[in-house]
Amino acid sequence: MATKGDHPGNDPKLKNEKGLNRRDFVKTGVAVGLGSGALLEPDQAQAQVAATGAQDAQNIVWDYEVDVVIAGGGCAGLTAAIRARDLGASVLVVDQNFDLGGRMLHSGALVSLGGGDPVQHRDMKGESDREGLITVAPAEAPEELDDSVDLLFTDLTDWSVVDPKAQSPYRYNERELARSWAENCPATRQFLIDNYVRFTRISGTHGGGGLSRARAARCFLMLGNKTDMKAGTITAEDAGVADPERTSSFAPVQMNNSSRSVAPNAVANGVALARPLEFSAREKGVEFMLHRRFDAIVREQPFAGKVLGITAHYSPRQHPETGQLLQSYWQNGNIDERRETVNIRARQAVILASGGHAGNPEVRSMFYPALREPAFPTSGIALQGPHGQDASALIAGLRVGANLAGMQQNVSYQTTFHISTRLGTRDAYTTMMPGHPTFGFRASAGVNVGNTGFEEFIAVNQVGKRFFSEVRLPARPGLSRYPGDGGAPGQGLKHTPLDWRNCRKEWVRQMYNYDHGLDAALAMNEGSQPPDYYSGPLWAVFDQDAVERTGWELRYPYVSDNGYFFKADTIEELAKKIEAGHEFQRVPLSYLAETVATWNGYVDAGADPEFEREADAPMSRIATPPFYALSIMVIWHDSYGGLRVNGRQQVVDMQGQVIPGLYAGGEAVGGFNKHGLGKGHVHGYIAGTHAVAEPSS
Amino acid sequence: MLKLVVGVLGLTFVNAPISVAQQGIDPVLYEQGQQLYQENCALCHQDSGVGDPPRFPALSGNDQLGDPARIVRSIHSGRRRMPPFPRLTAEEISSLANYVRNAWANDFGGVSTGDVAAVLEGLGETGPMTSIWDGVYTEAQATVGQAVYSGACGICHGRRLNGAPEDPDMRSTPPLARARFLRVWDGRSLATLFEYTRATMPEDNPSSLTDQEYVDVIAHMLTVGGMPAGDDELQPDPRSLARVVIRPQP
Repeated sequence: MATKGDHPGNDPKLKNEKGLNRRDFVKTGVAVGLGSGALLEPDQAQAQVAATGAQDAQNIVWDYEVDVVIAGGGCAGLTAAIRARDLGASVLVVDQNFDLGGRMLHSGALVSLGGGDPVQHRDMKGESDREGLITVAPAEAPEELDDSVDLLFTDLTDWSVVDPKAQSPYRYNERELARSWAENCPATRQFLIDNYVRFTRISGTHGGGGLSRARAARCFLMLGNKTDMKAGTITAEDAGVADPERTSSFAPVQMNNSSRSVAPNAVANGVALARPLEFSAREKGVEFMLHRRFDAIVREQPFAGKVLGITAHYSPRQHPETGQLLQSYWQNGNIDERRETVNIRARQAVILASGGHAGNPEVRSMFYPALREPAFPTSGIALQGPHGQDASALIAGLRVGANLAGMQQNVSYQTTFHISTRLGTRDAYTTMMPGHPTFGFRASAGVNVGNTGFEEFIAVNQVGKRFFSEVRLPARPGLSRYPGDGGAPGQGLKHTPLDWRNCRKEWVRQMYNYDHGLDAALAMNEGSQPPDYYSGPLWAVFDQDAVERTGWELRYPYVSDNGYFFKADTIEELAKKIEAGHEFQRVPLSYLAETVATWNGYVDAGADPEFEREADAPMSRIATPPFYALSIMVIWHDSYGGLRVNGRQQVVDMQGQVIPGLYAGGEAVGGFNKHGLGKGHVHGYIAGTHAVAEPSS
Repeated sequence: MLKLVVGVLGLTFVNAPISVAQQGIDPVLYEQGQQLYQENCALCHQDSGVGDPPRFPALSGNDQLGDPARIVRSIHSGRRRMPPFPRLTAEEISSLANYVRNAWANDFGGVSTGDVAAVLEGLGETGPMTSIWDGVYTEAQATVGQAVYSGACGICHGRRLNGAPEDPDMRSTPPLARARFLRVWDGRSLATLFEYTRATMPEDNPSSLTDQEYVDVIAHMLTVGGMPAGDDELQPDPRSLARVVIRPQP
C-alpha cells in the first residue's frame, strides 16, 4: 500500500490490520470476476464477465435465500433491517466487522430529525418521555421546536446558505431526496422510540441538520444494576464510566454524563442508539452474518435486469493479541458461516448500507488526490477494521451500472477532513480505552490536547520541517448558517431562509474563517517521491518543559510503543526513532534538528518570521530533554458523495433509470449533504419500507 | 458566535479618539480608558460598545451614560448582572467614564477624577483583594463542582478542561484551566467569570444552573488548574467574588 516498504532500502513492517491495500483491492476484484473494469464500456465489461464466467447470473449457486439482503449493519442497515422485518420480510444482514453498529456505535448519538417529530412535540409540551425517565426541563424554547416538514425541506434545500469556508453544501441537495427525507423524519423518530431508543431533551441542531429550528437529541441509557435494553439500563462497567481509563466490549467509546439533558445517572452516546436497535433487530428475528464483507451485486445481466442478490467474502477479524476470532456481544440470530465466498439470493431487494469511502484512500483520491496518502485513515479504523468505509457499495454499484451523485459535497462539511487534536494514535477521531477487544488495533487512546495544545509544540512534516502556524492547524470552519458561526438555536440568530443576503459576498468575507492548515499539511515536500508524491506523516515535537506546562499524561493507555509516540534524549535520536518505528515514515526527518534550532532562535527573538506564531500564542523553546514526538493525524471522517438514489432510496443508473431491486442509504449514497445519524436512519427506514413492496422472485 | 462578532466588529468599528481633543477631554485619560475598557469591559460590551442585548447592554448610544455618578456606582458596586470592579481607582474609573461617554457615537463629555472620587467615597470600603492562589474554595466544593461540570460543561470543554470536546463532531472550545485560561482571564475577577459564565453557559441553555452550581464549577476549574483549596467555600456573591483576582501563579 505504498508504505515505506515500497521504497528501496526499507523493510515492510505491515501488520495484517492496516488501511485498504491497493493490491488486495485489485485481487478482490479479480476474484469476483470483474477485474478493475468498473467503468468499462458496457460491451467491454460484458465481454470481460463472459470471459471469466464468475458472475453468470443464470448458473450461480445460491448459498442462502431471503426476502431482503442488507449489506452493512450500521445506522442505515439496522434500521432498514428492522423496518423490513416489521413489514413481514425475512432479512439477512451481512457485515464485514465482528460486531454490529458500524460507526453509529462509536458516535455521539446526536440524532437530528425534525419536521415536527415526536420528540420535538414532547419537549414543546414540556412532557417527560413515556417511561418518565426524563426529569429535567426542556432545553429549547417552544418556538425553537415549532417545526414542520415544509420548513425542514426548505432548510435542507436552502440555496442561499454557505459555510465559513465559503462552501455551499445545501445548495446542491437533490430535491427529491430532501423532500422524502423530511417527510419521513417524524415517522423515523417514532420508529426509533418503538425500538428501545430513548431520546434526551432536544438541544440545538446537528451540523447539516437544518438551520432554523432545534431538531437534535442524543440517545441515553440509565446507569443501573444490569445492562437491559428493554428496561433502558446499563451497568457502569458496560458504559465505561466505572474507570476513567477502561471501557467495555459493549461500549467502544466511554459514555458521557447526560444528567443535564435527562436526569441524574443518565449516560449517552452511540452505544445507547446502536445497542437498543441491535437488540430489537435480534429480538424480531433479523439474521446476521458477521465477519463477511459484501463485495459484489449479482444482477440478471451486468447492466440490465433485476438485482438478484450479493456475493460476500469471509473477512475474519481476530483479536489483536490472542488471534482468536472476535465474537459479537450478542449471538442470537448470528449465522456462523466461514466459507470463503457465499452467494446470497434476495427474493425482493438488496439494500446497500455498507458505509462510505472515507476508509479507501484510492477512492478518496477521486475527490481529493492529496488524501490518497494512506498514512491517514478514516475514523474508527480500530473498531471497524481494514474494510470499514472501504467504498464497497460504491464500487459494487458502479459495476452494475449505478450512477454517482454529489461528489463535490465531500469537501463541504467541516468534519469530512480535518486535523484531529487527539495526538499519538492512528485512530485519532475518538478516544477508545482498553476493555474493548479492538483497542489493541490502535494500542493507544491518544492525548487529546485541544486546539490550545497546539501552542505547546512545533508541527513538522515527514522531512522534519514546519509547514504552518501550529496554532491554526486544528481550526475547523463553522457550520452552514447565517448569521453567526453555527451556534445553537435560541441565541437570537434570526435565519431567513432563501434570502440572497445569506450569501452576499460582504457577509461571506466577514464570516470566512478557514486557515487551510490542512492543505499545507498535505502538501508535497522534499520527501514526496514519484509516482504518488505522498505528503507523509505529521509530528508534534516538544520537550519535557512542555509536558510540565500542560500536564499531558504520556503513559499507557494514552500513548504506547505503537509507532505513534516516541521519546528520546536528543532531537537527532528522536528523528531516527520515528523513521525506524513508524509504518508510514518513508524518508528520514533530515531537517528536524535544524528546524528545532531555528525555532529556538525564533523563540529567543520573540518572532517567527516563517509562520508568525507570535501573533497567536506565546512560543516556548524546545530544549529540555527528553524530547517527544506524537503523531498528528489528518482524518477523513465521512462521505457525502456516493451512489445516486431517488426518494425511495432506489439506486439509479447512468441513464437515470432505477436499478430494479437495489436500494442504498446512509453514507453509501450521495446527493444529500446532511451530516450524521439522522440521514442514515431515515434512509434505512425508507429503504426498508419500499424493499418489502418489491415483487418476490 | 461571540468570538466572531468581537473579531469582525473589532476590525470594522474600533474608533480612534479623533474628536476627543476638540471636545476638551484629556486624551491621556481617554487612551487609558480605552485600554481599561478592553481589559475589563469588552468581554461583554464588545470593543464596538454594541454589547449583546439583552444579556449585555449596549453602551454605544446608551443615554444612561449621561449620568456620571451612575457609571461610577455601576463599575464600583456592580449593577444587576454586571460584576463589581472594586479594585479600580478613582482615576481609572474616571478614565473609563471618559472613554465610554465619548467613544463610538457617544458624546456625553468629560468627567473629572475629583468628581469620581467624591462618588466613590460615598460607596464605602469593599474589603481586601485576594487572588485565586489564596485558597478561596474548598476541596469538597470542587468535588461537587466536578459532578456539575461533567453534566453541564464537560462534553464541550472536555474532561481535562482543555477545550477538547468529548464528542469529536464538536469544535474545540475555550480551555477552562492552565496556561491559556490564565492568559485570557489574567487580571479579571472571579465575579466577572461568574457573571459571564452565568450569562452565556451552557451554550444551549444559558443560566440554567443554580448560582451555587456556577461557583462550584469554578471551584472545580480552580482545582484542576492547580490553585490550592482553603477552608472557606467560594460564595455565589458577586461582591465577594469581585475581590478574588485571576492571575498566573505568583
